[in-house]
Amino acid sequence: MFDATVLPHLDAAFNYARWLTRNDSEAEDVVQDACVRALRYFSSLRDDDARAWFLAIVRNAWYSRVARHAKVMSMPLLDKPGESAADDALNPEGQLLQQAAVARVREALDQLPVDFREVIVLREIEGMSYKEIASVVRLPIGTVMSRLARGRERLLALLKSEAMVEALL
Amino acid sequence: MTCEAVERDVDAYIDRELDPEADRLVRSHLTECPRCRSRVTERQALSRLVRAVPYHSAPDRLRAHVSGQTTRTITRHRLLTWAAAAAVIIAAGGAVALGRWATPRSDGTVQQVVDGHVRSLMGDHLFDVRSTDQHTVKPWFLGKLDFSPPVVDLASVGFPLVGARLDYLDGRPAAALVYQRRQHTINVFIAPASDTPSVSVKRRTLRGFNVDHWIRGGMSFWVVSDLNDGELREFARALGS
Repeated sequence: MFDATVLPHLDAAFNYARWLTRNDSEAEDVVQDACVRALRYFSSLRDDDARAWFLAIVRNAWYSRVARHAKVMSMPLLDKPGESAADDALNPEGQLLQQAAVARVREALDQLPVDFREVIVLREIEGMSYKEIASVVRLPIGTVMSRLARGRERLLALLKSEAMVEALL
Repeated sequence: MTCEAVERDVDAYIDRELDPEADRLVRSHLTECPRCRSRVTERQALSRLVRAVPYHSAPDRLRAHVSGQTTRTITRHRLLTWAAAAAVIIAAGGAVALGRWATPRSDGTVQQVVDGHVRSLMGDHLFDVRSTDQHTVKPWFLGKLDFSPPVVDLASVGFPLVGARLDYLDGRPAAALVYQRRQHTINVFIAPASDTPSVSVKRRTLRGFNVDHWIRGGMSFWVVSDLNDGELREFARALGS
């Protein structure tokens, strides 16, 4: 029952954790931790939305890891410039425009503050409704909406600084 | 509706989260305001770009580790659950507690549909025939079923057909068509319901999966996916619910 409920959402859990942590092995640790917690709290799952329930647990697992690492904690969660821009060795000449644009979008998304990044990932990549997102991030729907709007605004601004991407928008 | 109001609602609009009345107002404003129209187009383009970003699937190592781990822990967990359930039954006088757990039959079918969907995703039996061509898929069912399921490719509206397989529903063979939307899989189960009048679409949600059911033209349709509400409704409409 647990396996049949939770395992179908393992990809979603990993994808979400990967976007939260921006690191493969940390994402694995977070998901493993979340599975242990999910098993413990399995009885708290109501019948209707296992994915949102599980992703909320992933988020908690990630958050307590962040809180444990005081160093990470001291970094402002809301505005962290991405270090990925520095090692951007992308060579547009050698690549198709679309591929380059997608790579750039991925980078820009990584550079967004996590509060904005996670709602965009849950909406666009997981295809969740506002209500589902609200239950994952434990915020009112209105806040989800405004984070999504501001996140997209910022993402657009980041991308528009590159003419290459603008051609696709 | 003013440009400011549209600006405020643009995200909810492209995410199909506006109520029908607000949605209509935005739509009609867009027909006469090129500036707002281009704002919407830009956001939609951004959505498409973000959706094209590669998905981070769980590594096999993690999957293996996690399922092993849960199986080990669950054995103990299940014993405890059984012990607790037994205690409840004994305390409540057996029959009463058992009676409450019985589920109505239609719930059983929803359960089967979700189980079938999960099975198709967990094992590797998603397809018997892997094809995006409805003219390959439809004849494939010939001789395997005693009915001919309607097969349409919906790639033109963003739901490409990716394959099909033979499955079972309520103990009878059923056609299962598989569609894709981004990384989401949609299973459509089709079985004959010749004696039943048409039933319009009904939505159920079970374990995070949306299930739509309707009966039309003597066929019973069950659509299941983890796709969000709005897009699955769009899919059901495209399929002719």
